Amino acid sequence: MKSRKIFMAGAIALAMLLSACSTSSKDASSDETMAYPTENLTLNISWWGEQEAPGAGKWLDETIALYQKAHPNVTIKQVLQTTEGLIPAFEAAAAAKSGPDIQYFWGGIYTQQPGWDGHIVPISDYIKADELSHYINGKVEAGFQGKIWTAPWYVNASFPLLVRKDILTANGLTVPTNWNELMKICDVLSAKKITTIAGGVKDGWFGGWIYSMLGAQSIASQKDVINAVVGTTKFTDPEHAGWWTKLVESRDRKCWNDDINSVELYQAQQKFVDGKAAMTITAGPDAPNFVKKAGGDSNVVIMAMPAWSDGPNAGKLGTSSQTLGVTSWSKYPQVAADFIKFGHTTERLNAWYAATGSLPADDRFDMTQVTNPATRAFFEATLKGIPYLENFIPAQLDAEAVFKNVQLVLKGTMNAKEAAADMQAQMERLRKTDRKVVENFTAWSK
Amino acid sequence: MSSLKIAGVANRRQQSIYSPKEALYWIAPAAVVILFIFGYSLVSLFSQSFKYDGKWVLFENFSLVLTDPNFHTSMQHNLLLLLNVPLLVILAFVFAIILFETKRGMSFYRATVFLPYVLPIPVIAVVFGQIYQLHGALNVFLHSVGLGNFAQDWLGDPKIALGTMSSVIIWKEMGFGVVLLLAHIISLSSEVYEAAKIDGAGFFRTHWSITRPQIKNTIIFFALIEAITMVSWVFNYVYVMSNGLGGPGNATMVAELYIYRSAFQNKAPELAAAASVLLFMATLIFIVVFFRIQRKSISSMYKA
Repeated sequence: MKSRKIFMAGAIALAMLLSACSTSSKDASSDETMAYPTENLTLNISWWGEQEAPGAGKWLDETIALYQKAHPNVTIKQVLQTTEGLIPAFEAAAAAKSGPDIQYFWGGIYTQQPGWDGHIVPISDYIKADELSHYINGKVEAGFQGKIWTAPWYVNASFPLLVRKDILTANGLTVPTNWNELMKICDVLSAKKITTIAGGVKDGWFGGWIYSMLGAQSIASQKDVINAVVGTTKFTDPEHAGWWTKLVESRDRKCWNDDINSVELYQAQQKFVDGKAAMTITAGPDAPNFVKKAGGDSNVVIMAMPAWSDGPNAGKLGTSSQTLGVTSWSKYPQVAADFIKFGHTTERLNAWYAATGSLPADDRFDMTQVTNPATRAFFEATLKGIPYLENFIPAQLDAEAVFKNVQLVLKGTMNAKEAAADMQAQMERLRKTDRKVVENFTAWSK
Repeated sequence: MSSLKIAGVANRRQQSIYSPKEALYWIAPAAVVILFIFGYSLVSLFSQSFKYDGKWVLFENFSLVLTDPNFHTSMQHNLLLLLNVPLLVILAFVFAIILFETKRGMSFYRATVFLPYVLPIPVIAVVFGQIYQLHGALNVFLHSVGLGNFAQDWLGDPKIALGTMSSVIIWKEMGFGVVLLLAHIISLSSEVYEAAKIDGAGFFRTHWSITRPQIKNTIIFFALIEAITMVSWVFNYVYVMSNGLGGPGNATMVAELYIYRSAFQNKAPELAAAASVLLFMATLIFIVVFFRIQRKSISSMYKA
């Protein structure tokens, strides 16, 4: 009798424990089996991306229409945000705990921070792990403590250098294979008053691109950068500061257009299209479009920034995925996640490539559809790319130290040593003002 | 003498048809709305400036803001922008006089001068952003007339970017001053001017000794409004012309942009609140000065 009572008590305790576990450790399998809502509902999407992947809006409209047809009780509305407005608009929505159900995020820190702030729910709670495992860069950029915050949407090769062979050939030059060759090209072209690389840093963002393309070459992995963020190493250490000297060298060798500080990147890129600059840098999804505009594959080479160091990442493209996440205030997170998953069906992946000419963030995408050998080679290089550095530093450090110091260095009012010292000072200050930055980045790196 | 003045004002006040209690009833609805909107915001702002993550941290946020070099820079820039105020006042006064003296087409010229003031700031900022590019319209013009040596990277060079920004602010704000001062000048009694003419006063003497003293209060009002603008109302210009960065570097960073970036880009609303409180205090100084001058001018009116 006594043993029966003990058995019963044990069984009840076990049942309670299992019950507790099932409610506390939420996973995708439980939510995916949840009944799909039958009542009329509306989802709002706040997104960005048309700017770098023209055609994305058309794809999104089609995807919404197809999803609504399959789910007549669901209405989906979308709003395209501006580059400057994307984050502030989301922050305002988060402060009010009201706004979009599905929000667009750039990768890395831009995905992590809203997760740390509790503004989004992990997408891995609503989409099964085997499905998510196909989403490119999901784990590296959006993974945190075993969860994945957001679902990668499309891949952003970060960032290719586009080189016009016609301008180089006309001046007796060839496509550079390393940094020194690039500098020699700058010498020759600048003497003839031709811009070597067209860029614009007025809006700041291009500074972050330059940091990633040059800065990644002297480190082994993104964890090195996170170490500098949490204070284990310093941004003045040679592996983190070396790129500033290369930026100064590129300025002194007159590699850039003289108005780089007073124009935005898209204005400068037009010089490349018009044949007034030998090279430019663009967002990965937009690279094939630029190639077409500048004479096609026979004239334009897409490549990584020539190597200035012998580090493991030198001469490689960065890779990042732009993502979609579900907000913590959404009333229908499972529907939002289902819509995101719908975007990864074979038909939608193919439609993405057809609409934008860029690579969807899903390894199930049928690469045979990419018939252009140069584009295919570019996509394959992107898939083997290194983590995109800018996505692994706090956004505030990026804006306050990288964006601004690149402007000052290119204008000649700051030298490499000062730029690195200021970056370190800004980071030290950030550790005081953002009292969770060390804790969060440390947890992220594990 | 001063007691006599005050007594005069008091007598006038006593002649009011409403008792102070009645006046309070009349203003009560508006006061409630204002208190609700501004009072709630202010209490909430002050409260947030002393908290971090919902916990009280006393003056920690203020200490962080006050030791931030970026905040120092932004406040310095606001102070430098204050130098625009005397320039604005002089220009507005001169243009108002010129328009007053213009016999033909005053309406057209007045509209032309006032036009910048009614144009939306983002439109102006975008247009000037293009004009001031290194290869923009201004430098193209300077090169074409042989003044290429004066061509600059107007917004791209951190040494001159704030000055360039100031020129846009002055261009836009001046229209308001001209219309304000001109309206007052037109309302002045023509007899005084006729008397001055008979006495042989010339153009400069007339406007310096007759016009200027008579519109003094309007000039002070305009100067104070512009001072408040320079301290806490230039966000739109800077945001649009520097793409929200306050660059190049921190060359055009101002207090409002610092607050905006802290709150919405750097995700530090508590620091934004502390900086807002400091900016509010700075602006309050101008508001207090404004009310004192207003009170003084009302007293002088009663005296008159």
